[in-house]
Amino acid sequence: MNYRYRLIVLAVFAATAMVVSAQPVAKTVTASKAWKQPMTPWGDPDLQGVWPSTSMLQTPMERDPKLGTRAVLNDEEVAQKAARDKQFHQLETGNPKGFVPLAAGWFDYGKANRQASLVVDPPDGRIPALTAEAQAREAARKKHWNEKKDSPDTWLDLTTWDRCITLGPVGSVMPFAYNNGQQIVQGPGYVVFRNEMIHEARVIPLDGGPHASPAIRSWMGDSHGHWEGSTLVVDTTNFNGQIFIGSQGGGFGDSGAVATDQLHLVERFTRIADDTINYEVTINDPNTWTKPWTIALPLRREADYDYIYEYACHEGNIFMHDALAGARADEKKAAEAAAQKGAN
Amino acid sequence: MSAHLLRTLSGSFLIILCLGNSPASGQAAAPKIPRMAGGKPDFNGIWESLSTANWDLQDHSAYAGPMWEMGAIAAVPAGQGIVEGGSIPYLPAAAEKRKQNFANRRAADPEAKCYLPGIPRAAYLPYPFQIVQSNRDVLFIYQYATASRQVNMGKAREVGADSWMGMSNGHWDGDALVVDVTGLNGKAWLDRAGDFSSEGLHVVERYTLTDHDHVAYEATMEDPKVFARPWKIHLTLYRRVEKGFQLLEFKCIPFAEELLYGEFRKQTAK
Repeated sequence: MNYRYRLIVLAVFAATAMVVSAQPVAKTVTASKAWKQPMTPWGDPDLQGVWPSTSMLQTPMERDPKLGTRAVLNDEEVAQKAARDKQFHQLETGNPKGFVPLAAGWFDYGKANRQASLVVDPPDGRIPALTAEAQAREAARKKHWNEKKDSPDTWLDLTTWDRCITLGPVGSVMPFAYNNGQQIVQGPGYVVFRNEMIHEARVIPLDGGPHASPAIRSWMGDSHGHWEGSTLVVDTTNFNGQIFIGSQGGGFGDSGAVATDQLHLVERFTRIADDTINYEVTINDPNTWTKPWTIALPLRREADYDYIYEYACHEGNIFMHDALAGARADEKKAAEAAAQKGAN
Repeated sequence: MSAHLLRTLSGSFLIILCLGNSPASGQAAAPKIPRMAGGKPDFNGIWESLSTANWDLQDHSAYAGPMWEMGAIAAVPAGQGIVEGGSIPYLPAAAEKRKQNFANRRAADPEAKCYLPGIPRAAYLPYPFQIVQSNRDVLFIYQYATASRQVNMGKAREVGADSWMGMSNGHWDGDALVVDVTGLNGKAWLDRAGDFSSEGLHVVERYTLTDHDHVAYEATMEDPKVFARPWKIHLTLYRRVEKGFQLLEFKCIPFAEELLYGEFRKQTAK
């Protein structure tokens, strides 16, 4: 749970993503004719269960530009990915040079699959350009991050993930190396979307709105839902302007940006099989991106992944103590060395 | 409401209740409680305790808060305890520890640090929580610290590892929802006055709807390392009936960071 470890993981993902090259056509998986949507006793489509995002861990947020508008990988590309899987698994056993075993038995790996990017719209699978204002804002944020990440002045110099606050409603769903559990619980008039990553539980009233007063802002926003056929549609606004969206693994990487409080999300949950929910989120923040964009991925049941265990991230945040205390200790050492040099 | 009534009408129980309500029966009407389609009590809703339990579980006079800078705002109002028999039966060493906790409560109370509240404290925090009861399990979502916990109504789950909120396995005892909580790590306090337990704490909660808008809450605490015998608390949970009332977000970490890490903040030049 610190950014250094996270960067190692991201580097491996980036390497995985780069293997991909060109070919075929996109196919969206939809419900088969034979499958029947189960219903709750009170008559809503039943989406309940634990639906981890793990299986999509090998799919990068943004598509390799060489693929253009081709959203689906071919056999050869998938085979290449599978070969890379093997290498990634070795992270755990510590075989590859330069890697030490990290938390053996703890990582999720996903599976090589045909989806070329988590971003499905625009058609090139790339996050739309930032607005001029957002470009300046992001450049300043990244500059500050690069200056402070190894020696933070305060906790505020680190990310909301390092601080164990939240990854926001989108980041909490994005596949990562751990904590990919996503759970849906329904009661009459309500759906709860529960994310394992930093123990989120969004209670979504199925009243279609209206949203809470604009004076009430939050990290996860104000969500209201309704059914369109058997699809759950969730509309979320009232953000606090501090949510990062759009990096691999939901982290704070090169792609993506911090959205402003004008962020508006529309999520769609469609169950297409006993073991699969298609999840889709359209992200619109005219202050940050030049047009709306959409991420889509299947959330799939996994054997033995049927319960969300507690992730007490903040309670065990030794990293934050060590990062800050370490930075102060380094400064003290440097000051003493400088004084020593002066005295000589 | 009418749709809900129609749904419940299909259950035979309410029909019996209605018959019971007819003047001809000449008996006191059983309180009408909301029920799920299958007839089980329906706890769906947003609930909150109005007790002073989170300040101090036991009977107490008003006393000064740990921060004089906050004036009367941080003071503790007098309160009638919710502990059956009046006091918590601490073992001698534990009673001593409780005194230390009280003295150090300003920074030592896990609530001040925005740590997960544990059970039973989650039930009487001064914030609302929502119950979403499905046809399978029951989910509790607390406003404080975005805490939540699943109450397993099917096959009981084994504890994997100790945690702040523990492992909750529920069952019905007539109309009461009984939740057996184990696997608690014992790091959560029971109130702001330093009442505490160890990781051996076993809690049995009992939720009973007494009418449409009230739940009688009871919890039994057993922890032989800390308490001389099991003890019980009783309180009422009130439904938040305001129109459009929603469970809002209280992610409190940003408000605890100065307390937790302030000493490691870089000092700027004087």
